[in-house]
Parts: sequence; structure tokens; C-alpha cells
Amino acid sequence: MRKSMKPSITWRKITESRLFFPIVALSLILIFDFIFIPGFFAIENREGNLHGSLVDILRNGSTVMLLAIGMTLVIATGGVDLSVGATMAIAASVAGILMNPSALKNEVFFVTDPNYTFQPLWLVISSALIVAILCGLWNGVLVAYMRIQPMVATLILMISGRGIAQLITNGLRVQITYRPYAFLGQGWMVLPFSLYLVAFVFAITWFLTRKTAIGMFIESVGTNFRSSYFSGIDEKKIKLLVYTFCGLCAGIAGLVASSNIRTSDANNIGLTTELDAILAVVIGGTAMAGGRFSLLASMVGALVMQAITQSMYAIGVPAFALQAIKAVVVIFVILLYSEQVRGFIRRLSAPKTEV
Amino acid sequence: MKKTLSNFFSRNRKFIPLLSTAFLALAAYGIGAYFFAGMRNPQVFFNLFRNSSYLLISAIGMTFVILTGGIDLSVSGVVALTTVASAVLLREGWNAWGVILLMLAMGMTLGAIMGSFITYLKVQPFIATLAGMWFARGMCFFISDDAVTIDNRIFQIIGKTKVLIPGLTELAAKQGSQAPYITIPVVVAFILLIVAIYIATYTRFGRTVYAIGGNEGRNEQSARLMGLPVDRTKMLVYTFNGFCSALAGLSFSLFVYSGHGLYAPGFELDVIASVVMGGTMLTGGSGYVFGTLFGVLVLAVTQVLIQFIGSLSSWWTKIVIGVLTLVFIGVQTILANRKGGRQTVQAARESTGARRKRQGLVFGLGTVVVLAVAAIVIVPRLRPASTVETPENTQCAVKPFREDEAASLVKEGAVIVYHRTAGPLCVDELFAIYPDGRVLGDDGVNKVEKQVAPAEVEQLLTAISVDHKWFTAEIYSTYLNPCRQCFAHYIDISYNGQQKAATGVDGTTAMPPGYAFALAEIRPLLPEFNPEP
Amino acid sequence: MSESDQNILMMEGISKAFPGVQALDNVSLTLKKGEIHCLVGENGAGKSTLMKVLTGVDRPDSGRVILDGKEIQAKSPQHAQSLGISTVYQEINLCPNLTVAENILIGHEPHKMGRIDWTKMNALASDTLQRLLGVDIEVDKPLGSYTVAIQQMVAIARALYIASAKILILDEPTSSLDVHETAQLFRVMSKLKNEGVGIIFITHFMGQVYEISDRITVLRNGKWVGTYETASISRVELISKMIGRSLAEFDEMSKIKLESSKLITKAAILQAREFGLTGSIQPFDLDLHEGEVVGLAGLLGSGRTETASILFGAEKADTGSISMRGKLVQDYSPLGSIKRGVALCPEDRKAAGIVDDLTVRENIVLAMQASKGWFNYLNLQEQYEIAEKYIKLLNISTPSADQSVKNLSGGNQQKVILARWLATNPQVLILDEPTRGIDVGTKAEIQKLVLSLAEEGKACVFISSELEEVLRTSHRIVVLREREKVAEFSGEVDENTIIHAIAGSEA
Repeated sequence: MRKSMKPSITWRKITESRLFFPIVALSLILIFDFIFIPGFFAIENREGNLHGSLVDILRNGSTVMLLAIGMTLVIATGGVDLSVGATMAIAASVAGILMNPSALKNEVFFVTDPNYTFQPLWLVISSALIVAILCGLWNGVLVAYMRIQPMVATLILMISGRGIAQLITNGLRVQITYRPYAFLGQGWMVLPFSLYLVAFVFAITWFLTRKTAIGMFIESVGTNFRSSYFSGIDEKKIKLLVYTFCGLCAGIAGLVASSNIRTSDANNIGLTTELDAILAVVIGGTAMAGGRFSLLASMVGALVMQAITQSMYAIGVPAFALQAIKAVVVIFVILLYSEQVRGFIRRLSAPKTEV
Repeated sequence: MKKTLSNFFSRNRKFIPLLSTAFLALAAYGIGAYFFAGMRNPQVFFNLFRNSSYLLISAIGMTFVILTGGIDLSVSGVVALTTVASAVLLREGWNAWGVILLMLAMGMTLGAIMGSFITYLKVQPFIATLAGMWFARGMCFFISDDAVTIDNRIFQIIGKTKVLIPGLTELAAKQGSQAPYITIPVVVAFILLIVAIYIATYTRFGRTVYAIGGNEGRNEQSARLMGLPVDRTKMLVYTFNGFCSALAGLSFSLFVYSGHGLYAPGFELDVIASVVMGGTMLTGGSGYVFGTLFGVLVLAVTQVLIQFIGSLSSWWTKIVIGVLTLVFIGVQTILANRKGGRQTVQAARESTGARRKRQGLVFGLGTVVVLAVAAIVIVPRLRPASTVETPENTQCAVKPFREDEAASLVKEGAVIVYHRTAGPLCVDELFAIYPDGRVLGDDGVNKVEKQVAPAEVEQLLTAISVDHKWFTAEIYSTYLNPCRQCFAHYIDISYNGQQKAATGVDGTTAMPPGYAFALAEIRPLLPEFNPEP
Repeated sequence: MSESDQNILMMEGISKAFPGVQALDNVSLTLKKGEIHCLVGENGAGKSTLMKVLTGVDRPDSGRVILDGKEIQAKSPQHAQSLGISTVYQEINLCPNLTVAENILIGHEPHKMGRIDWTKMNALASDTLQRLLGVDIEVDKPLGSYTVAIQQMVAIARALYIASAKILILDEPTSSLDVHETAQLFRVMSKLKNEGVGIIFITHFMGQVYEISDRITVLRNGKWVGTYETASISRVELISKMIGRSLAEFDEMSKIKLESSKLITKAAILQAREFGLTGSIQPFDLDLHEGEVVGLAGLLGSGRTETASILFGAEKADTGSISMRGKLVQDYSPLGSIKRGVALCPEDRKAAGIVDDLTVRENIVLAMQASKGWFNYLNLQEQYEIAEKYIKLLNISTPSADQSVKNLSGGNQQKVILARWLATNPQVLILDEPTRGIDVGTKAEIQKLVLSLAEEGKACVFISSELEEVLRTSHRIVVLREREKVAEFSGEVDENTIIHAIAGSEA
């Protein structure tokens, strides 16, 4: 008996879906918060905008969510991009210096006028993003055409990137006072503006990967590049694309982050965020060896990380103890997934379809 | 002649990366010595080792890890943890030697834990060690939020004892100059280096390490098939690296005499860069421990050169190191691609001559580009002024913070007290801002005064307190020895019954962004002492 | 000494099944002391599975292994080694970054005063190589700097020195060796034979089988065909044992007629002239016409896969040219070929065929989508339609088009890959071992399918180790031997002629 063309929703499909574990994890954390943290779920309405812990999770997690989108695609091809933090810093530096080039003259020039910017906003943003794209392109060429291992290739930008960012701002922290730019990270339109940015990037990525052949090709290359080669897929172009795109996402994340703290801090922006992004993707179920990916699951993974962070803050755990806790979470997730994968394989290899 | 040279190189191809690094280090130093008289002082040369003994120690351990094809990103966390833990324990009165032993044991334990995750639970090394780094840094702050100074007598002795170099002492005495010296950590580092070289060359453990790495991971399987104790060796390697990280941390704390969880940020990248430049391939299996010494030297020389050039800031170091690492990795990849991947029979018989020529071309081109860029950037900034002496001599004395004076000013009603020291000319400027708009400044020699509108002061206070959250945990004190261009700051704010003081140094990653912002808001209000030349 | 005393190894009644395929069915093998015994058979015959059972990689379902009079069961390759069974694979399992001496002795290095005695180690290694193998090289250079031939010697030396091997298994050792190196290997093997070591030599080079072996065992489709004294079986007989019908049946069969009726007056779709790749396949001429099936016959290693590969553009030829319908081909790449209407169903379906994480639907539309590019995406409705069409057409057994392809049996996976190539609507379809490792029923289906494709006007190239299959399915047969096209047959031809062509002049 042949089933219908469209897949049916069964309980097994749900538990096997990539989204299952991340959503369960997120739910557990939220339940924990509900029980132990009074007022965590409270949502205020201030002047038409929603505020509250839940909203904060969304807003503070925007940076990692943006990174996770790009990182998911890179990891799906079997690679990794360690330089996203550095790219964030570079993009932020470009933006900062274009709005306030006084740093180049070795002064920390304090701008009091929130409407002042040296260059128009569109130029600021597009320049920063173009530079970020170039960073991604650089990584892509190293990995796809020069066949350097992804970890090694992106390590180079990770090391020198912050130096480059400092070069751009002449070593100083450039303050950002331009209000429209600050809106990126701190603006509110009922919900935080950065959330709309995330949604926009997610929508475009979803469209590019699921409404064009790109997603299928990424998964194919990540699973078995030799079979993909024989099927006529150009692995090099795909890899170049994903690394460039990851750079772009990092650039956007850098703009949001610098807008949040209103500084282009070449040293601190994006520090350790590459690890958060990788972890978000891993929680989201995309295997580090490459293959099938789910953007939505990675985003939920990013939210899980952020929710943990927020909850710990709310309880009163000191900021840096959080790092230790994250470490434990990483190990736990990795182990869980490897056991899960092994368990699945065991279950799947038993009943094979008969000839 | 050409024949013998090419013969020499083909027989010893293994040594090429190592030799080129050594050449690079010495050549760079030589060029610097040509341009800067200060660098001809032998003490500057020995200071290279003084300043990088902790890097060398850690890089030695990392060499073993990378030789097995793995990686360890936790070293900076362990170093920081060691500095904090030892500082706090010493403060509590523990015996110095006990602390040292305990720290080494702690390092080894952390290494062993990560090693077991990697070896038995098959977690990828960079994830496991990344988690290790997070964990270690997190632990730092469990122990202590602020920097803790070390003033234990034994530590002071170990760190500051000058070890004279036999042979050079008499020479110096004859010339009437100071005898060059190194410190005990340097000696320790070299002893470790010799031990490591012995292990790598003359023990079964060492050779197994080489057997595990390389050949794109296929070697590990081969080694197992050959009956070698792969798992045990990997565990030992990570444990050894933990030991080295802790030892490096101790060496570092003997250098800065304090402990803080934010120390050594990005250290692991410097360590990896040193190992790579020493000729060890990141894929493992080939490389010499001895080469790591030269990798460390290159980093140290780069730093010194940049210090001497003066007009380049210290973050240029990061760029230069990144570029050098890239070049080395590129070279390694090319040399390794001779026999790689899915080669058909046909490809194996492709004229190696043609391929070598192509690779040589790429390599040559790359080198030319790098040198050209470096020349364009660096040469115009070189000032072959023979007046520049060793950084130590031109480093003026950084004045301490006048905390008592600040406190009394606050009692008298100042709402903002701002003290700035260090910088290229070692200033010592203390300012006080009062609610009525008076701004008074005192640099120990001159006094200046300025009047601003009280509303401006009020606005400033609100901005600092509310926007930049001065009175919350987001602002905290940090202190590191300032670089030549950098200033050290002490700010004391009183507002609405609250008072808080915090210190910070420019150009360090440690300074919280809010602090920097507050600085930026205060500065425009301050009168100047002397117009800048 | 009795017969059984002379046997160092006896494998009796070994059977092993994997899901969907019986890899070994009651196979036996005996090996005498001081004998060189060749194990031959085409791909899928079961040679590697048999060796895996012997060396402890796999556990047999039934049967037993008796080594030197004692029954054993190797639990792992290392265990097998300690029992005296050493293997040298085509992929040398040594460490190319260590020196030769280290590779031989690591784990057992001589020590002096607590540290490795390099001088002694080098001396020991050098001595072993010379004494046991008659090889004289510098042992302190890295292994990787030597040719594959020398590396094999080193592997053998280690096996002998460390493990004092009683049995040495050489798995396709000569594939990367030239004439001189092969001669050297044979000298070593003779020396070892004289010392009483039993050697199992797996190879597909007929000439070498006859040059060095004492006895030959033939496997075919998991079954034991026979064990023969090398001196008393002719090459033609051997080949027919491997790929043809048995000699007895052969005499009774009448000559097989090729489907010569609907033939070669149709237009040539693809023409290859002096087309070849150095070191892989000698330059050849080949014409493929509409509506015909060209079979490539030859033994393993004769160059069939390489021919398919350069026709498809997976590897670039370096001599000669191809034209499609009169136009010279410029873009040699898989994508170019697909766009032109040439498709290749590769031999290794696991490594170069299926993308195992993707679903049946995705696997089927993959190549077609690739030819359309990134942005011309077939929407889901279209994809499902295509998938369903081929699932029905090829009778692919799967619960739905969304089943992950790795869950399918081998035969169904092969059908999925076939579907993928059919979906690209090719003019020329090259099939490399499409029926390997598949059940009988599906084999027949695929053969029928190939013929019907030809009827639709396509040109097909059919490669198979089963000569019977090739004969049944082809209009024309091209014979390859040792990477060279040696003959072409059409019209009436019988199996005997083809086998002679495959065997060559020293039949």
C-alpha cells in the first residue's frame, strides 16, 4: 500500500524532528523559571512596547541568533567558522569610524549631538556589511579553493581580526551616539527592533535555502561530497557561498552588538560569541560532520543558551560563574547528542526494509 | 654549489620550516639592532626570554598536543586560574611551595579530565578544551572578583632573582656595563625544553605521540593496528599540557605579581601560533619541539620591534602574528599536498617536477606579497634615531594613584575625582569637579582651574551614574601595567549618597566599556595642563 | 607428514550474511605451509569478507577457522596479529611520518639506559630488511619518502619481526607497483615461502597469478567455485570459472546471439577519438549510437571504470577528444556532461552514489536539480511527482518518498541512483556495475530496463563483471585488457571468443 505523497505527522516524526530536543530544553528552562523566579514571565507594556524578562531573552539573544544562522550553514557543509567574533568587531569598527572619524586623529571626541554622523547611515551600514562579506569571502577562498582545514583557516582571521579592527579605529574605542544607528540594538517597535532584524535575516535565509536548490546542495555536500560531485554539484562554490554568508551574518551581528553598547570596542565585541554560536547550532541538532540542518532549531538553540544566561542572572548567579555553567552545558549537550545519535543508529539498523 | 645546496635541502626537508622561523627571528632581531641602538644592548636580547618564559612553557606542552593532531584551547583559562588561585592562597597564608605543587596538580587534573573526554568519550578536542577554558575562567571568578596582588616573599625571590650568565658577567664588567641576567622562570623554561626534547626523541611515549598524529587522521588508526597504546598516550599528552599550562600560569604570576580571571586573554592563540611557526603542523605528526623555541622567539621579537618602533600600537602584534601564521600554514599545506587526498594512480605519477614548480611559484609569490606589504607599512614609520634607548630606560616611572588625596577631596565635596597617570610622558594629573561647576587640576607642579555650568556637571553625573551604570557591578576595577601609549585612570564618583571608585588602564581588554564611556564623558570638561607638542 | 599437517590454515564452511545479501555461503579455504595461494574473484565475490573473517574484523555466522591445528576465532586485527596472521593492505597501515626503522620496531624499540637506542634500532631494522626480505634501504629516512613498493616491504618486515607471522595476507599489493617493483615483491614472497610462511595473495592481475602462485581458489557471488593447482588450469578456464558459465554448462549451451536485429544504422550520439588518460586508460576510439547497448567486458583492473569516468568527465582525459552529435565537447565535468545529456551511474554506490542522509525524493532529483542550477528550483510538488514516477517505474520498495535512503536495501539504493540518472533524461547512460551486490530478481529488472532504454533511442554503456549479463544485455561488446581496448565484437559472438579476448594471447 503506497502512502500519500505528503508526509503524515506521527508521534515518531515529532520525536525524531530536529526541533524536538531544543524545544524540550527551552521548555524545561522556562518551567524552571516559572517556578523559581517570580515575575519572570511578567510582560509590561510601556508606551506601546513590550518589556520583560522574556523579551530580554529575545533581545539579548539576537546577536547569537544572527550568528547561528550563518554558522548553521557553514557547519552543515562540514566546516566551522571560528572568526565570526573577529568579523563582528571589524564590522563594528568600520561603522564606528565612519560615524565618528575623530579617532583617527588620536582624540576621543565626544559627540553630544545624537543626530550627528560623519557619513550617512546607509553608507555606514553598507560599508560595514561589505567589509564583513570580504572577511567571509577570505575564509571561503581559504577553505574551498586552497583546501585548508576550516578550523585552521578561520583561526587566522580569528587571531588577526581583532588587530585589524583596532587598526581601523586606531586603537581607540569609538563611541556611537548617532540615534538612528543606536536604534538597531536598542530600538523598540512593540518588540525589540533587533528581533525584526533577526526575523528578516532568518526569512531570507530560509527562502534561499528551502525555496532554491541551495539548501539541498548544502546538505548534499556536507553529507557526501563525492556523490555530490558525481551528481554535478560544485562543492567549491557552495562552500564559498556559505562562508561568505556567515561573514555577512557576523557583520549584521556586529552592528547590533555595537549599537547595544554604543561603542565600537574592537577588543570586547563578539568575544567568545563564536563559541556560543557553535553551541547553538549543536544544540539545534546539526551534526558537526555536516549534513542536514535546521535553521529554526539553531535559533531555538541560541534561545536556550540565552535563557540559561538570563535565568542565572535573575537568580543572582554572578556574571562570570556563568562561563563555568556554560561549560557544563556544552559537555552535557555534546554527550547527549552523541548518545542519542548512537541510540538512533542502533534502533534504525534493526528493522531494515526488506528487499 | 647549487647541487649541494639543493641536496642539503631535499635531505633535510623536514627542517625547512624550523630553519626559516629561526632565520626570521634572528634576522628580524638583527634588522632591529641595526636601526635601534637600544636593541644592541644584550639585556634586551635576554629580556626576550624573560618576557616570554610563560609562553615558551605553555607552547612546549601544546606542541605535544598538536603533534597528536589535537588542540587545546583551555590554556589561557588555566593560566588565569593559576594566577588567581595562587594569589588567593598566598594571601591566606599558605606556604609558597605548597601552593606551587597544588597548582601543578590542579593543572594536571584539569588536563586529565579534558583528555578523558577527548579520548574515551570521543568529544572533538576543540570543543572539549573550549569548555575547559570557560570552566577555568568561570572558576576564577568564584574565587575572586577583583585582582589580587601577590607579595609573598618566596615568590618575590623566585621572580626577581637575577641569574647571571657565566662568561658574560666578566665581559660586562670589563666593558663597565651591567651584567646581563635572566630570571629563574627562564631557567625553568629551558630545563622543561630540554626534558621535552628528550621525551620526544628518546622515549617510546614520545614516538607514539608522533605516530598518532598526521596523515589526515589515518595515522591514529594505523597506530592502533600496530598495537600502540593510543588512548593512554593521548590522556598523558593532555595531562602534560595541563601541567605546562599551570606552570606557565605560575611563571606569569611571577611576572605580574597578581592574579585575575581576565589575564592572558587570547593567550591560546599566541601559543598555537608559536607552535605552528616552530614547524609543527596543525594536522600533527611532524614537527620538532626545538622549533617551538624559535616560534616563541618570533613572537617575542615582533613585540620588541613594535615597542621600539613606537608609533605602532601594540595591537599590530596581533596582525603581524596572524599574517605570519597564515604564511606558515600556507607553506605547510603546500608541502603536505605532495601526497594527499584521493589521488589516482595517474596523479601519483604526475611529474613531481611540474607540481613543485607550481607550488614554488605560489609560495614565492605569497612571500613577495607579504614582504611588500610589511615594507610599505613599516619602513616609513621607522625612525632610526639612535637616541632611542631600551624601553626600560625610557619607560618613565608610573606614579601611583593618589587615593588618600582623592578621598579627602571627596570629603570636601567633590563629586567627581579623576586621576590620570602613565602615558608616554608619565603624567600625574589629579582633577576634582564640584557641583557648583568648579574644575580644579593639579599635576604636582602646576595647578589649573576651569569653570563650567553646574547643569553640565549634573548632566555628567546623571550620564555616568544612570546611562553607564557606574554604581552597578558592570563597573569594576581592573589594572594592568600600562603600555607606553596607555594611561592609567582612577575615578571616584559621589552621587545621591553613593560613592564608588574604580581604576582602569587604556588599551586593555579588561576595561569595562561603561568605564571607557564614563572617561570619555569626563574628559571634555577638564582643563589642560600643557598644550600638546 | 600427513596432508592435514601440511596445512597451516583451514577455513571450513564459512558463511556470513549482511542485511539483504549473503556475502559468504559455505566457503572453504586451505593454506599449506610455505605455499603461495591466490584468492581470485570479481567484485562482490566475497574475497574481502573472507579475509575480514580471518583477521577478526567480522564474526562468521557459521563455520570454523583452524590455524596450525588449533581452532581459533580472531576478535580483532590486533588479536589476529598476535595469533600469527598478518595482513598488508593496499593502503599501507603504517605511519608515513615516522622513519622506516621506527615503523618496523615501534612498540618494541631497543632501549639503553632508559632511552631509545637509535643506533641499535636502525641496525636491527636494516638487518631485518636485508635478511628476511633482501631489501637494502636507508632506515632512518621517513617512510613517506619511499615508494609504495618499499612501504609494503616495510609493512611485511614489521609483520615478520614483531608478529612472527605464520600467515601473511597480501591484499592487492601490486596495484600501485611497476614491473620492477612487482618483481622485487615476488622475490621477497619466494624467500618467505621457502621459510615456511603461508601467503594468501589477492590480486586481479592474471599474469601475476600464474607467475607466482602455487594454487588458486576462485570465489564467485559468495560461493566457493573451486581450488586448483596453478599449473593445471589454463587461463581461459580460470576466467570462465570467474565470470562465465561453468565449463560443463558451457559445452551444452548454444552460442548466444546478440540482439543484432535493431542495430547500428542509427546515428552516432557520441564519438570518442584517441581518447585516453595517461596512467589510467590508453587512448581509444568509441562510437555510441542511438538505440544501442555497448557492453564493456574485462577483468577487474582492466580499465572499465576509468573509461566510464573519462567519458563522463569525472576525470579529465589528457589525450584525444569527444564529440556529441558532431559538436566537439569543451566542458569536461560532471555538470557539463549532465547538461549535454550524458549520465554515469558510478560503481561504488556508497561512496559516489547515494547521499545517505537525504531522502529518496532528494536523491532522485539531485542531478537534475544540479543541471538546473541554484535558483531554478523544482518546487516540492514537482519533486514528489518525479520521485513517485520513478518509484513506480523501477519498482523501488520504500514506504514513502521521504524515507531516508540509507534505510533501503542495496538493491533499492541502486534503483534510486538509476532513477536519479534517468530523471536527467540523458541521451547516453553509462552504467558501471549496476547489478553488483543485488538480488537476482532486481538484476533481471535492471537488465530489462537497460534494453528498454535502448529501445527508446538512448545509447547505453553497460559494465559488468558477469559476462553472461553483458552478453544478454548488449548489442556490441568492447573488451578491455590491462587498461587498453583490445577488441570489439558485434553480431554473432559467443562467450568463448570473448573470454579468449579477455585472457589475451597466452590463453
